[in-house]
Amino acid sequence: MPKPLLNLTWQTLLADYVTALAWSPDGSRLAGCSAAGEVVVFDARTGASMALQDKQGLSVDAIAFSADGKFLAAAGQAGTVSIWQMAADSAELSAKLLTQLENPRVWVDCLRWHPYQPELAFNLGRYVQVWDAVEQSVIATPAFETSSVLDLAWHPSGDYLTLSGNLSVKTWRRDDGYNAPEIRETGGASGAIAISPDGQYLASGNNDRTLLVWEWDNPYPWQMQGFPAKVRQLAWSTVQPQGGSPLLAAACADGVVVWAKAKDADERWTSHVLDLHSAPVTAVAFQPQSTLLATAAEDSWVCLWQQSTQAAQILEGAADGFSTLAWSPQGKYLATGGCGGEVMVWGKVMTGKGFG
Amino acid sequence: MVAAAQHSVPVTVLTGYLGAGKTTLLNRILTHEHGKKVAVIVNEFGEVGIDNQLVIDADEEIFEMNNGCICCTVRGDLIRIIGNLMKRRDKFDHLVIETTGLADPAPVIQTFFVDDEVQTQASLDAVVTVVDAAHITQHWEADEALEQIAFADVILLNKVDLVTEEALVALEQRIRGMNAIATIYRTRDAEIAMDSILGVNAFDLGNALKIDPEFLNETAHEHDETVASIALTEPGTVDGDKLNQWLGELLRDRGPDIFRMKGILNIKGEDCRFVFQGVHMLFEGRQDRPWRPDETRKNELVFIGRNLEEMGLEKAFRACLVGGEF
Ligand SMILES: [Zn+2]
Repeated sequence: MPKPLLNLTWQTLLADYVTALAWSPDGSRLAGCSAAGEVVVFDARTGASMALQDKQGLSVDAIAFSADGKFLAAAGQAGTVSIWQMAADSAELSAKLLTQLENPRVWVDCLRWHPYQPELAFNLGRYVQVWDAVEQSVIATPAFETSSVLDLAWHPSGDYLTLSGNLSVKTWRRDDGYNAPEIRETGGASGAIAISPDGQYLASGNNDRTLLVWEWDNPYPWQMQGFPAKVRQLAWSTVQPQGGSPLLAAACADGVVVWAKAKDADERWTSHVLDLHSAPVTAVAFQPQSTLLATAAEDSWVCLWQQSTQAAQILEGAADGFSTLAWSPQGKYLATGGCGGEVMVWGKVMTGKGFG
Repeated sequence: MVAAAQHSVPVTVLTGYLGAGKTTLLNRILTHEHGKKVAVIVNEFGEVGIDNQLVIDADEEIFEMNNGCICCTVRGDLIRIIGNLMKRRDKFDHLVIETTGLADPAPVIQTFFVDDEVQTQASLDAVVTVVDAAHITQHWEADEALEQIAFADVILLNKVDLVTEEALVALEQRIRGMNAIATIYRTRDAEIAMDSILGVNAFDLGNALKIDPEFLNETAHEHDETVASIALTEPGTVDGDKLNQWLGELLRDRGPDIFRMKGILNIKGEDCRFVFQGVHMLFEGRQDRPWRPDETRKNELVFIGRNLEEMGLEKAFRACLVGGEF
């Protein structure tokens, strides 16, 4: 194997399974949550931590910083959506609890901030609530209606909110008050959606063992088949190595398939399989501004794939498996979470300069 | 079904009409499992729940997984709940899923056959159906009542104290005609030995196929009901290719009408038994232990479903036998 790309910078332990990790936009802070209900903020460089919420029995499943980094939101099985205001000084880890939205008997496991406004969208069963964190008021409650909302995504332009569920993916316009959605059909239930950072493509991973990819303005999708099980995780690269489309990584059972659109006239998508994991893949993410792909799995490995092709390094340290991962927005750090509560932050290996 | 992991959590599915005695049975299970971590998935918060046990309220949510095919469905709520529960360090020892009286059990069972995420974490132990012996006659017209009996591995004929012996015998016969593989118990107040309903391993392919001998002994079955069982016992060896083709076509064309099937086969050229089971269009089969020298090699198949008579199962199966060997 080639020289290591990342070194362990620091590590710590939460009380249970790390359900999600999120970076502040400036990369100075990392937030994590666990199946024991903890919410913790870490200093990216040192690992110094501040608990915003102690363990409380019910899992916290989703966590995210707002686009301006001022707010942190977390939610889970208690149905409570908590929003903290972060200290202005990025070296300061403390935060002030601003809001707690109670939603009894609902599991909130999906929340996403608008790409530039302090607006938070989160799932409440069959609908989504869009919440204004500054005004502290409900903006809209787009209803998926036909099933529970399984995933949600903002278009990078900020103009659209897309929800996925059984048999379809529905997109609402933000500027018309979340009126009638545009509906894209899926053959089964769409459990994961992802919009490419350039806003050109929408991908849906489905339980009928297919992956659908739409051009944003085109109602007819490409359908990718041949998956051995449902497609669980999706990630787009920010870069477009083929000069046209970004790369799409799709995790299914123990494997990851990387798709790229050919530059030829018929615009086919071609794929290759990354086959190194020996247990279900739990997370996939491209390093920002790069084609380096990180994949986490329950086999206790995080694999780094150079150019999304070559296994370049294997990260270990979570004996019961890795549950999640997240690159810092600048691509400087990779945070990994473990099924046993491990939080590990990996930094780029500094190669000596001036000697050769 | 993919071989479930060693630490896979057993799942008991409880079905039956409201008032049949499901909640009483559920409370008996919870009392019996005292000290173990049991998660109960219910559709309404009832008067269940003892210390240490988690009661989760779920909406029965059906997800398609085969572009509109009505029999290829799973329960989305279960996938989400099981995935979430099994993240905990102190994982559960036992999962009990209570369905409403109006629920079709098939999507619950199919969830454990097709969802790879669920399969690695939990495995079906048995479908237990509680039947109100006094009131079931009012429900024979309802599809759910028939389906709950047809899909069961264990049937509790409850409230037997409220009906005559004569009526019970007739009821047992009728249920037996619908489901030839379920074990039937007569109960009062859902009182039953817990090892009769827990640890049954009814979906373990390695378990012997148990066709009720009374079903086989009866010379004439009344197949006037829409839901019925057909059991085939045939000597001889099976042509694997022919069988594959037949079952493939049968499940494709008649999958919605075939609720469950199970079988043990003597395949030509194989020293091991071939065992299989199916739920609607979903099928799993594998090689089992070798035939014992003292054992008579034969083929046993049971089908439970609707309109089975017109499928010509016996004739079609016989056509899969290797000619001249019987
Ligand atoms: Zn089907």
